[in-house]
Amino acid sequence: MSDTLTIEKRQNATTRLLLAPGIIWMCLFLVAPILMIVYVSFWTQTTFTISPEPTLASWKQFFGSATYTGSLWTTIRIWLIVLTTTFLVGYPTALFVGLLIKSKTLSTILLVICVIPFWTSFLIRVLAWRPMLGKEGAVNIVLMKLGIIREPIEVLLFTELSVIIGMTQIYCVFMVGPIAFMLARIDRNIIEAARDLGAGFGRIFWKIIFPLSLPGVVVGSIFVSVMVLGEFATSGALSGRKVNLLGNIIVTQVGSLKWAMASVVGVILTVVIGIVIAGFLRIVDLKREL
Amino acid sequence: METAVFRLEGVTKRYGDLVALDNATLSAGENEYISFLGPSGSGKTTLLRVIAGFEQPEQGRVYFQGRDITNTPAHERGIGFVFQNFALFPHLTVIQNIGFGLTHGKHGLSAAEIDRRSREMIDLVGLSGMEDRGVDQISGGQRQRVALARTLTMQPKLVLLDEPLGALDANLRGRMRNELRAIRERLGVTFVHVTGSENEALAMGDRVVVLDRGRIIQSGTSDQIYDTPASPDVAHFLNRFNMFDGTLSGNQFSGVFGTAPVSRASRADRDVYAIRYDRMRVLPVSATPDGPAVKATFIAAEYLGSSIMNFFEASDGHVIEMEHHLSLGAPDSYEPRQDYLLTWNPEQAIVFGREAA
Repeated sequence: MSDTLTIEKRQNATTRLLLAPGIIWMCLFLVAPILMIVYVSFWTQTTFTISPEPTLASWKQFFGSATYTGSLWTTIRIWLIVLTTTFLVGYPTALFVGLLIKSKTLSTILLVICVIPFWTSFLIRVLAWRPMLGKEGAVNIVLMKLGIIREPIEVLLFTELSVIIGMTQIYCVFMVGPIAFMLARIDRNIIEAARDLGAGFGRIFWKIIFPLSLPGVVVGSIFVSVMVLGEFATSGALSGRKVNLLGNIIVTQVGSLKWAMASVVGVILTVVIGIVIAGFLRIVDLKREL
Repeated sequence: METAVFRLEGVTKRYGDLVALDNATLSAGENEYISFLGPSGSGKTTLLRVIAGFEQPEQGRVYFQGRDITNTPAHERGIGFVFQNFALFPHLTVIQNIGFGLTHGKHGLSAAEIDRRSREMIDLVGLSGMEDRGVDQISGGQRQRVALARTLTMQPKLVLLDEPLGALDANLRGRMRNELRAIRERLGVTFVHVTGSENEALAMGDRVVVLDRGRIIQSGTSDQIYDTPASPDVAHFLNRFNMFDGTLSGNQFSGVFGTAPVSRASRADRDVYAIRYDRMRVLPVSATPDGPAVKATFIAAEYLGSSIMNFFEASDGHVIEMEHHLSLGAPDSYEPRQDYLLTWNPEQAIVFGREAA
């Protein structure tokens, strides 16, 4: 009895020792900074200085201003739209790459092709949309040459639409990857079995393929959500300052040394992202599925 | 004469240059248990997939219940298929798996009716109490039953089983063999069972179809196959015969064992003399045999439960096996690395030859 106890004690000690580096790292670089941001959000901000006297002023200012709360709703709206568009574009792509293509080599090649845009820098990828969508951009030129439109479409650039187009293109691959991975793991015999049991394509998709790919959808959605909710560069470059996301506010506030306000927005953004991730994780038990 | 449930006429299937099925012709009656036996790569699984409709043959026709179904898609054929790895739907429970085929609109079944039929099938395969388990929470044998039940709920006239016992351990395999037969007899449908194990094929099949390199080389009842294999390949694959090369001329076969009289021989593309393991007798090396005999060195014995398999090595390195059934008395024990004479009654040999009529 005492022998097993000492063994357990020793195992506990070893476990703690092995976990220590990770825990210390997370505390230093994740928990401590978050606590610091929460703390700073209650500091007193004057025009040029900030002092640690606790106050709710910045919080009141955020919730009292239509600009700030409006940007919270814009962020959530853009996030929901981009999540939908990346899913609508990404799922069929993943279905093609992960399931319909039988050759493993070909599906790997196609996945690599999806990643090729990442060989250029983020800003270039975003800015490249300007000559595409502009009033005298590629899309308008082609449509006019084809005679489909007579006047250039102006809503293409420096609108919410251009932000959505840009974000969809940039983040779509994060949706495709996890879904294609889950789809590729589906045993083809299962699909043949379902067909043998008389199920048509629609039923096989909705009853077998989609539920089995759901963990991929959830992981992809988490990737896209986290990145879109924290976005500021795409909206900055493609909206002509018309679309202000929470990320853009943090950038301007930090730029004008308004640390307390930046912290308030940071805390709100962190909470929103936390709720979104927790919500997605409720859909499937990822520990079991992966 | 029974009416044929399915019939194959000259079915040929190629994968590139590889001929997976070469002009296969076969018919199966109602209420039969048929085993397809063959080594891996013999085309037995391809044949099954052609019948199921997962593969299209290049030539030949497939008939099912008198109808030409060669171009009918798999799900409209009404033929059940049980996959080798069971292919259960991993995200569904036992009862959802079993009821899956009934839930399509065209059956027009109410939820209560689907539930009733699924439960009936669960009882039939002996899975009562497991209805709501996930398929990853049950054992291999239970999964096998779910796979079978899932197919049987569709009330097919023909069920194809692709190496259904391959994924189970030996003990379970024996039990499932009996179960499969019993379930089939209760439902009166035809089962076609593909296997690479000669024991399984001979034990399970009312009829055994032996395939080799894409061709059907013999078809008959288990004892027909066992007692009169149609070719040296069949005899070899049954794994029950010591085979000797030699020359057949007239009524004599000469080989490493000397010359033996031959009463009857089957035509084949080479001369082969086959004698069953349990027909062999062992004599001391000094004895004078009254029939053909080979001098061989004893290597080892293997205890098989109801019999003992003794392994001898002839001077040319050829391994000769001798099976002793324990019901016939206690086994003799042989000294390792000692020479013995192996002999048999030439009447019991099966002889193949180019000269045979």
